Amino acid sequence: MSMAVAEARYTHRRESNYVALAMLMVLSVLSFCTWAEEVPTRVQVADPYLELHTGPGRGYPVFYVADRGEWVKLLKRHTDWFKVRTDKDKEGWVSRDQMESTLNEAGVKTTFRDTLFDDYLLRRVEVGFGAGQLDSDALLTAHVGYGISPNFSVELTLAQAVGNYSSTALYYGSLLAQPFPEWRVAPFFSLGLGRFHNTPKATLVGGAEVDANMANTGLGVRAYVTRRFILRADYRRHVAFISENRINEFNELSLGISLFF
Amino acid sequence: MNSSAIRTLLLLPLLMPFTVLAENPVTKEPGEQVVQPQVDRRTVTVPKISARDIELGAFVGVLNIESFGSSPVYGGRLAYHVTEDIFLEGTYAKSTVSDAAFRSLGIGIFTTSTPTVNTVDLTYYNLSVGVNLFPGELFIGRGRAMTSALYMVGGIGNTSFDRIDNITYNIGIGVRIVPRDWLSLRIEMRDHLFSSDLLANENKMTNNIELTFGLSGFF
Repeated sequence: MSMAVAEARYTHRRESNYVALAMLMVLSVLSFCTWAEEVPTRVQVADPYLELHTGPGRGYPVFYVADRGEWVKLLKRHTDWFKVRTDKDKEGWVSRDQMESTLNEAGVKTTFRDTLFDDYLLRRVEVGFGAGQLDSDALLTAHVGYGISPNFSVELTLAQAVGNYSSTALYYGSLLAQPFPEWRVAPFFSLGLGRFHNTPKATLVGGAEVDANMANTGLGVRAYVTRRFILRADYRRHVAFISENRINEFNELSLGISLFF
Repeated sequence: MNSSAIRTLLLLPLLMPFTVLAENPVTKEPGEQVVQPQVDRRTVTVPKISARDIELGAFVGVLNIESFGSSPVYGGRLAYHVTEDIFLEGTYAKSTVSDAAFRSLGIGIFTTSTPTVNTVDLTYYNLSVGVNLFPGELFIGRGRAMTSALYMVGGIGNTSFDRIDNITYNIGIGVRIVPRDWLSLRIEMRDHLFSSDLLANENKMTNNIELTFGLSGFF
């Protein structure tokens, strides 16, 4: 194996590792955000009964019923299900709907706050993934964004496009402007700068790797769906400055899902 | 004096404060209440419970690359359970792929393999959406039961080997067994589909089947 090939192989592998690493990082951001302080809370059954399921889902059977007036301790939460322990030491999973008809120690109805549109408006961090096309090549994207004001946010994006002859990696940071932040479905504009890296397919003879600066402009739409979810559509025009007298232009069209915190 | 006149006289002092207020409307602070209610405000506390919606784990198994045989595969995965039915997951895994069979016929396929070292590294990553289809329980002996679920996943990612990236779609089915609230085991079968022109002049969609066994924890 020649040194050049070994080198190219190494850089190539490193690149796809970065994309995967970014993806893992994004998902671990999620894990931090879902952490909550552990405070054992007791609630009292106010409905005629409280159904305890064997698992956190409506399909799991009910194996125990706590009566009205009985106190149960909240242990943990998994999606919209709560693990509780009754006075009689029975442990099971109760749906959020049923939990909301219980009373807390002050005798007030227990409430579990949902993520709402208001939280969307106050969001700071946005992480997301997308898939689409870069010209005619398939494209995968991952991004992390941070809101600096209601109208502006900054974003870091990693994208990988795979074509018949080569694969392209794009790394860029961008500034996003959203003129109507309070809309449920709102447009945004973006301006980005970064690096462009193209690796020709190994089966291709005479292909050379290209590493260059790039810039892009884009426009897109964010739509708040539900809970922590945003649907996103992006159109971007990328310009890669290959050499002094050569630039390459690419059009990106992608569709993705983002989560916000 | 008749009784109605007396009543009017007695009511006059009661009306006095109103006349005072009417004469000096400026003295009253805006928003100040005339009568302060003696009510204890009840504080509504929202219980804080740790949400265990993140699943982090590792897996090992066998990955078959169409036309190139099977190799061990190992990787990590991170999942976020959105609802009881839906989860998102990211996977990153490593394996190897060999063109030894072709080399023995005198045709090397991979550009980065050599007659002596004909195994090249393979890495893949993907992001998938999963749906929990059939919840259930597994019974072990007389007194033990574990919750389980049959799920389906599908997603998109990249498979890379021999300096070639391949956009890869994946679809799979698996069983998740939860012996403890914080622990889950899974057995999964996944098909990684990508189109490749390694063995022909035109692209051909390949089915790359993977069988894995995984262990993960809920956080």
